[in-house]
Amino acid sequence: MMKEIDLGLGLLDHQLVDSEGRRCGKVDDLELEGVRSGRPRVAAILVGASAWRGRGRLGRLAAWIVGGRLVRVPWDEVAEVTAEVVLRRAAHELGLGRGDDRARAIVERLPGSR
Amino acid sequence: MSKVFGIALGILAAIGGFVDIGDIVFNVAAGATFGYQLLWAVVIGVGGIVTYAEMCGRVAAVSEKAVFDVVRERLGFSAGLVALCAGQLVNVLTLAAEIGGVAIVLQLLSGASYAQLLVLSVIGVAIVLWAMPFEWIERVFGYCGLGLLVFAVGALKLHPDWAAVAHGFAPSTGSGDRWVYAYFVVGLIGAAMIPYEVYFYSSGAVEERWGPKDLGLNRANAMIGYALGGILSFALMISAGALLLPKGIDAELLGTVALVAEAPLGQIGLILALVGMLFAISGAAIDSTFSGAYNMAQFFGWEWGKYREHAGAPRFTLAWIVMLVLAFAIVVTGVDPILVTELSVIFSVVALPLTYTPILLVANDRAYMGNHANGVVANVFGVLYLVVVLVIALAAVPLLVISNMGQG
Repeated sequence: MMKEIDLGLGLLDHQLVDSEGRRCGKVDDLELEGVRSGRPRVAAILVGASAWRGRGRLGRLAAWIVGGRLVRVPWDEVAEVTAEVVLRRAAHELGLGRGDDRARAIVERLPGSR
Repeated sequence: MSKVFGIALGILAAIGGFVDIGDIVFNVAAGATFGYQLLWAVVIGVGGIVTYAEMCGRVAAVSEKAVFDVVRERLGFSAGLVALCAGQLVNVLTLAAEIGGVAIVLQLLSGASYAQLLVLSVIGVAIVLWAMPFEWIERVFGYCGLGLLVFAVGALKLHPDWAAVAHGFAPSTGSGDRWVYAYFVVGLIGAAMIPYEVYFYSSGAVEERWGPKDLGLNRANAMIGYALGGILSFALMISAGALLLPKGIDAELLGTVALVAEAPLGQIGLILALVGMLFAISGAAIDSTFSGAYNMAQFFGWEWGKYREHAGAPRFTLAWIVMLVLAFAIVVTGVDPILVTELSVIFSVVALPLTYTPILLVANDRAYMGNHANGVVANVFGVLYLVVVLVIALAAVPLLVISNMGQG
């Protein structure tokens, strides 16, 4: 991936899509490493309500209210960054999309949901 | 040929789907109170929705992002969350107003009790959302909403003073109570620009996988469909101005609105008006229900889409069910739906800048938009309307209080 990306505008808060084309969260925060050494790189994408803690006061409040897990997606799992951030594996293999899985269990009980 | 036909059908649906309860309430009340003097405010409002619907559709076609994707990417999490909360509050209020409106129209058609018809309305909307293929929803409700054209025929038959009508298209400070007049200016612009329309429109564009090749269709829908939809608003105000103002009839009830079509056209006019209102308002209820679910899903990154089976986008599905439940909880308290309508329109005005600012930024960003970024015309109108929206957003709530909700 040699394309130049502005992390603030071109990556943070963008849509995550898994290898099966399923939407599975947003880039809620980024884990950077090597900032001190002067060669910063993105180590991982952080996903989930707990990742909002790093997103300002309202983010902290929202994280506190919603709670939940923090999912760390190593940058090596990113296949490409287009309009969306496309991942190399299926959401469940990366621990993503759990909310949809729980909701599906409810929706599937309704007639005609499939 | 089939492409032109498709575009024409889309435009027809856009016209029929333009008017909702907010437009009906504000246009008829404005006509009954100020005659034709406020037609110019509708022109401004229609110009605004055309400008921003075109922009949102273009952003969706080129960048594959719907409104709340863009809002979050541009405003970041915290400010985006504020925009989301504001948008959702307005969406729920709007939906509550539409459902109340559907129940009132059903009551006028059937004579059954309002409370029973509220339940029927919510269940009806839920069944349509659950079971009807989306293309059908769009077309059926859009076309049947064209029944509202009866108000245009009625307006002609009422022989309004055309010189006064023409005069109304020129902005003026109006005669009568100046605070009430200003309140109606804000309400008419707000009703035309009600935000669920662009949420829904841009999400639909992403779902239908519009690309740059669809930009012509986008322009046609926005510029012709929405602009012609504005004619229905004019017709409502002109009819009310010709019929209700001279007789001193207040337009606080939806039944009065239907009478506006009955007086010049008889029973056929009345029935067409009620059927047109029924489909236009329930179409708007459907759009605003989905808009709420789109916004949540796009902000939080959930799977979404009405083309998927319901279990394929489960949180999206639960979100729209929750929207319906909340809206029902509001109207079932017995609160006057007309009151809810006015509040939803006035608060939507306050929420508008939070939606339109990020859209304008992204539409100008060549990294997203390439050659399809805003040109001079889109930017002149975009900035102009952002100013208009900011001004009326600041004025909206004070005017609501000072004018006593337009009662003077």
